[in-house]
Amino acid sequence: MSPIPKTAPFAEEEIDLLNRVVGGASPLQRAWLAGFLAGLDASGAALPQPVAPARPAEPLTIVYASESGNSEKLAGDMAKLARKQGFKPSVVDMADLDVATLASVGKLVVIAATWGEGDPPARAVNVYNDLMGDKAPRLDGVEFAVLALGDTAYAEFCAIGKAIDTRLEALGGKRVADRIDCDLDFAEPAAKWIDGALSKLAPAGEAARSKVIEVDFGKPAAAASLGPVEAEIIEHIDLNSSRSDKETIHVELAFDGAAPPYNPGDSLDIYPENDPAYVERLLKAAGLVSDEALRRELITSRDVTTLSLKALETYAASTGHQYVKAMIDQNEARDWIAGRQLIDLIEHFPIALTAEQLRAVTRPLAPRAYSIASSRREVADEAHLLISAVRYETHGRAREGVASTYMADRLKKGARVRVKVKPNKHFALPADGRDIIMIGPGTGVAPFRAFVQERRAVQAKGRAWLFFGDRTFTHDFLYQLDWQDALKDGALTRMDVAFSRDTPEKVYVQHKIWEKRRDVVAWLDGGANLYVCGDAKAMAKDVRAALVKAYADVKSLTPEAAEQAVRNLEKEHRYLQDVY
Amino acid sequence: MAAELSRNERIKEASEYLRGTLAEGLRDEITGAIVEDDQQLVKFHGMYLQDDRDLRAERSRKKMEKAFAFMIRVRISGGALTPTQWLALDKVARDYGNGTMRVTTRQTVQLHGVIKSNLKATMKAIDDAVMSSIAACGDVNRNVMANPNPFQSGAHAAALSLARSISDHLEPQTKAYREVWLDGERIAGGEQEVVEPIYGKTYLPRKFKVGVAVPPSNDIDIFSQDLGFIAILGVGGKVEGWNVTAGGGMGMTHGEPDTYPRVADVLGFCKTKDVLAVAEAVVTVQRDWGDRSNRKHARLKYTIEDRGLDAFKAEVQRRAGVKFAAPRKYAFTSTGDRYGWTDGEDGRSHLTLFIENGRVYDRAGGPKLMTGLRRIAEFHDGDIRLTANQNVIIANVSPDNRATIERLVDEHGLRAPISGLRRNAVACVALPTCGLALAESERYLPTLVEALDERLAAQGLVNDDIVIRMTGCPNGCARPYLAEIGLVGKGPDRYNLYLGAAFDGSRLNKLYAEDLDHAGILAALDPLLAAYAADRNDGERFGDFVIRAGFVAASGNGREFHASTGARKAA
Repeated sequence: MSPIPKTAPFAEEEIDLLNRVVGGASPLQRAWLAGFLAGLDASGAALPQPVAPARPAEPLTIVYASESGNSEKLAGDMAKLARKQGFKPSVVDMADLDVATLASVGKLVVIAATWGEGDPPARAVNVYNDLMGDKAPRLDGVEFAVLALGDTAYAEFCAIGKAIDTRLEALGGKRVADRIDCDLDFAEPAAKWIDGALSKLAPAGEAARSKVIEVDFGKPAAAASLGPVEAEIIEHIDLNSSRSDKETIHVELAFDGAAPPYNPGDSLDIYPENDPAYVERLLKAAGLVSDEALRRELITSRDVTTLSLKALETYAASTGHQYVKAMIDQNEARDWIAGRQLIDLIEHFPIALTAEQLRAVTRPLAPRAYSIASSRREVADEAHLLISAVRYETHGRAREGVASTYMADRLKKGARVRVKVKPNKHFALPADGRDIIMIGPGTGVAPFRAFVQERRAVQAKGRAWLFFGDRTFTHDFLYQLDWQDALKDGALTRMDVAFSRDTPEKVYVQHKIWEKRRDVVAWLDGGANLYVCGDAKAMAKDVRAALVKAYADVKSLTPEAAEQAVRNLEKEHRYLQDVY
Repeated sequence: MAAELSRNERIKEASEYLRGTLAEGLRDEITGAIVEDDQQLVKFHGMYLQDDRDLRAERSRKKMEKAFAFMIRVRISGGALTPTQWLALDKVARDYGNGTMRVTTRQTVQLHGVIKSNLKATMKAIDDAVMSSIAACGDVNRNVMANPNPFQSGAHAAALSLARSISDHLEPQTKAYREVWLDGERIAGGEQEVVEPIYGKTYLPRKFKVGVAVPPSNDIDIFSQDLGFIAILGVGGKVEGWNVTAGGGMGMTHGEPDTYPRVADVLGFCKTKDVLAVAEAVVTVQRDWGDRSNRKHARLKYTIEDRGLDAFKAEVQRRAGVKFAAPRKYAFTSTGDRYGWTDGEDGRSHLTLFIENGRVYDRAGGPKLMTGLRRIAEFHDGDIRLTANQNVIIANVSPDNRATIERLVDEHGLRAPISGLRRNAVACVALPTCGLALAESERYLPTLVEALDERLAAQGLVNDDIVIRMTGCPNGCARPYLAEIGLVGKGPDRYNLYLGAAFDGSRLNKLYAEDLDHAGILAALDPLLAAYAADRNDGERFGDFVIRAGFVAASGNGREFHASTGARKAA
C-alpha cells in the first residue's frame, strides 16, 4: 500500500521512497517519525544542536578500521556520546588516515576489526602497514585507547586491535584505558567500554560532568536501519547445474509490504537457525536430550558450532575435565581446536553437563550477511540473495555452514526468514554514473547483479564491465542468461569470464584482468570505479597484484610507482572492495 | 530446376568458402553457442554444436543457456592412426573433451563435450599431431573408409593407400580451416583464384561418403556408400583393379516414403590409375545434378534414382574419360569384425579389440578401455586402426610386443565378449549429445543385448553371429537398414524393428513392427529366435531365415524399401 498520496508536495521519486519507508513501517515506527518530525519543526532549526558545553570542547579523534561496518557503527556511537560529554569528536576511517597527523591529535581512540586469519580490514591495509612501519610518527603526549573487534572462532582473535594497541604505546603514546577485545556479541561490552574510556579521556576534574540524555537526531538515515523483519522465500533455486560440485542458491525474498530500503551494494543480515540434527547430537553427547527449552534455545539463538579457546577454557573450568585441562596446560589446545567444532569437544571429552554448562560454551547466534543481488528499481518489493552452500569435511566429520545450509537445505520456497538490511556505503555505485569495472567471481557476483539492474533502471550513462569466474563454464556460470540480456540491452558493456576447471591450467579473474590490462587501465584512467567482491583470502589479493602489474606494464612504471597508482585509486575511493 | 534453393545453399554461398562469422563467434565468451548459420558451416570443419539434452529441462530455471558443447570428428582415412596420434587424441579428450573418445561407424574418432572456449586449443592439438577434422562432416566428401585389418597385407595396404589418395584428392582446399582454428593468416581481399576446383562455392548438395572394401570382408558396408571401390584380387592377393559402386545411402525420414535407404549399384570395373578420375567425376556429377532445393532428396542415391543409372554412368564415364569394364566377380561373407589375433603375410600380427559401441572410456568398476589403450599406444610400434564396427585394432604388432599387449588387454578388460549378438552390435551415439536423436541408442543397446542374450542362451544360439544395429533416429549413422535386426528410434523408448538384411551387407532389411518399447522388442523377437533355433537350415543366417520362413518380405531397393512392410505371418 502507498500511504503517501501522489498529491504530496514531493517529487514522484521522493514519494516512492517515502512510501517504501512508511508503507512498511510498524505503528511504533510511524509514531516515532511523527514525533520526530514535529520536534524538528518546533526547534526551528535545520538540525537540532547538542547542548553547548560551557568551555571549548576537547578534541577527540576516533579512528575506525572496519570491514563489515561494525567498527564504523561503534565509532559513530562513541562520537555521539562524546559530543554529549563535551568532546569535539572527529571520526576518521582508517582507510583515509594520514598516519603523520596522529602525532598532533592529543586524544585518540582506535576501533579496529580483525578479519579472516588475523588480517586488517581490506580498506585499511595500506594505512595499517604505514602505522606498523617506519613512516609512523612518534606519539609522545598522545593519550589513546583501543577497542578491538574480532571473532573467537578464529585463532588470531582481535590480532589487529592488539597489534595497534602495542604499537601506539611503542610509539610513545599513553594508554589511558585498557584495551577491550570483543567477540561477535560486542554490543554490550563495547558500550560499557566506550563509557569508561570517555571518562578516562576527559580532562581532569570533568569526569563527573552532567550527562544530558538526548537522542542525536543529526545522524543520517543509516541510523534508521529498521530492525529484523520477516521475509518469505518466494524463489529458491540452485543455480549450479546438477553436474556441478557446487551449490549456489538464488533466493528471492518478498516482504509484507515494501522491501526494507536497501541500495545496490548493501547486504542483508540473515538470522539463521542451527541444524536440528546437529543440536540433537550435541544434546545427546551432553546428556541433555530431554531439555526441550534448551533444545529450542540452542537451535534458534546460540552459536553451537564455533569452538574457541575461550570455550575450551570455560569447559575445562566448569567441568574440571582433566584431559581438556591438560591440553590447555600443555599448549595443545590451539592446534586441537583447528578445524573442530563444539560437537567434537563434547563428544571427544564427554561428561554429563548441565544446561548452564553447555550454554556457557556457546555464544549468541550471530546473523550472517549476504550481499543483495538485486536492485529495488527492478525487483520492486523483493530482495534477491546468492548463497553458496558451505560443506566440507574436517577430522572425519561432515561440516556445514550454519547460515548457508539453513538457507540452502532447511528453508524452501514458502518458508519465512528473519532479515535485516546492512548498509554498505563503501560499496555503492558512483552517483555520477561514471564507468564501472566489477570483479566478482563466484558469489562475489551478487552485488553486481544489483549494480547492473540499478544502472539499467536509471539508464546510467557510464559503461559497465564485469569480470566473472567460477569452476566451469557449463555447470557454474551463475546468472548466465541475466548477463546475456544485460549485454544485449546495454546495461552491461563488456564481460570477461574465467573458468578454472575448464582447462588443464587454471584460469582465474586476475588472469583475465592481466589479459585485458590495456583496456582496464584505460577505463581507470578515464575515471572508472573498480569494484571487487568475493573471496578475501586469495582472490582479492591476486586481483590487486594483477592490477599493480597491469599498471607497471601498460604505463611502463616501476613496481613502486605502479603500487602508488593503485593506492591512489584506493585513496580516491575508486578501488572498492566487499570481500569476505 | 525452378525450385527454390534450400537455406543451407544460401549459407554456403555467402560463407566465403566456409568462413561465415566463425572467427567472431569464437570470441564471444558469454555464450557457448555460435549463430545458426555458422552452426551449418562449422560442420564442414568437422564439428557439430550440440547440447547435453539430459540437462535441458533444468537449464533455463537455473538461468543458464543450454549446456552447449561441440562434437569434433577427426578425419582419419581408413581409420589408420599412429600410436602418437592416438595418444594425442586421448590427451585432448581428457584435457578438453568429456574424458571419452568415441570410435565411429566411419572409422574416425569423435570427441564430445568440447566447449567453445576450448575449441581452438583442441584443434591445435589435433593439428600438432598431424591430423585434421576438415570435411569430417558437412556437404563434402566425408572420411574415406577402408577395410582396416591388414592380415591380407598387400591388398589392405593398397586399399588404405587408395582411401588416402581419394581423401586427399577430394579434400576441400579453402584456407578457412587454418584461418579460423589455427590462427592462419587471412588472405587479403578474400581468395581470388579458384579456391575449390572440385566443389566450387557451394560444395555438394549433401554429404558424400566413400569406402574401399577388400573381400571377403564387407566390414565397411560398401553398399551403404555413395561411392565405393571393391578390391578385385588376383593371384597372390594382388589388387588387379576395382569394382566401382555408387548410390548407396542410409538416411530417411519417418513417415516420408519419398525418403529411403538404398544399396549401391555396381557400375563396373576400373584400374587403380583411373580411380581418382572416376571419384572426381562421380563427385562433380552429383555436384551438378544433385537436388539443391530439398535436403531430404539431395543424396546421390536420389540423383541416380531420378536420372536413371545408365544416364548417370554415362556421364561419369564421359567426365572421367574412363570406360568401365564389366564388373569382376567378388564375394563378401560378412560385415562384422574378426576379433582376436590375425597374422599378416609379413610376420606382423593384428589384434582386434571389442569396444562396446565404440565408446572408449574407463568405466567406474568396469573395464578401463581408455587407460588400457593408452598404455598399449605408449610402446606399440605398429599402428592403431579403427573399424567400421566401432572397434579398435592394434595393428602390425611386432612379435616382441605381443606378450605385453596380451597382458595389458587382460588387465584392462579389453577382451571380446562371447555373445555372437554383442560382437555384432553397433549403436550410434544418440542421446544425450546428438541433436537429431528421437530415442536412446548407445546408452540402451547394451541393456537390450543383455536381455536378448538370455533368450539366445536358452535357444542355444549364444555363439551365433547375428548383426544387430540401433540408431536413435532414421538418419542411419549405424547403418541399421543393413542389419539382420535393425532398430530405429521413433520417440522416447519407442523403436521401429527392421528384419531380414543380408549378413554380407548386400540386402536391406524390412520394417517388421513399429513403435516397440523394450518389452515389445523382446516379445517380437522371442518367437523368431525360437523358430530360427528350431527350423534354420545348416549355416543359414538369421536375416535370410526370417524371409525364407515367411515372417517378413525380402526388401527390394530404393522405393521398394517401403513396400510390403510388416509381419507377414504370426510368429
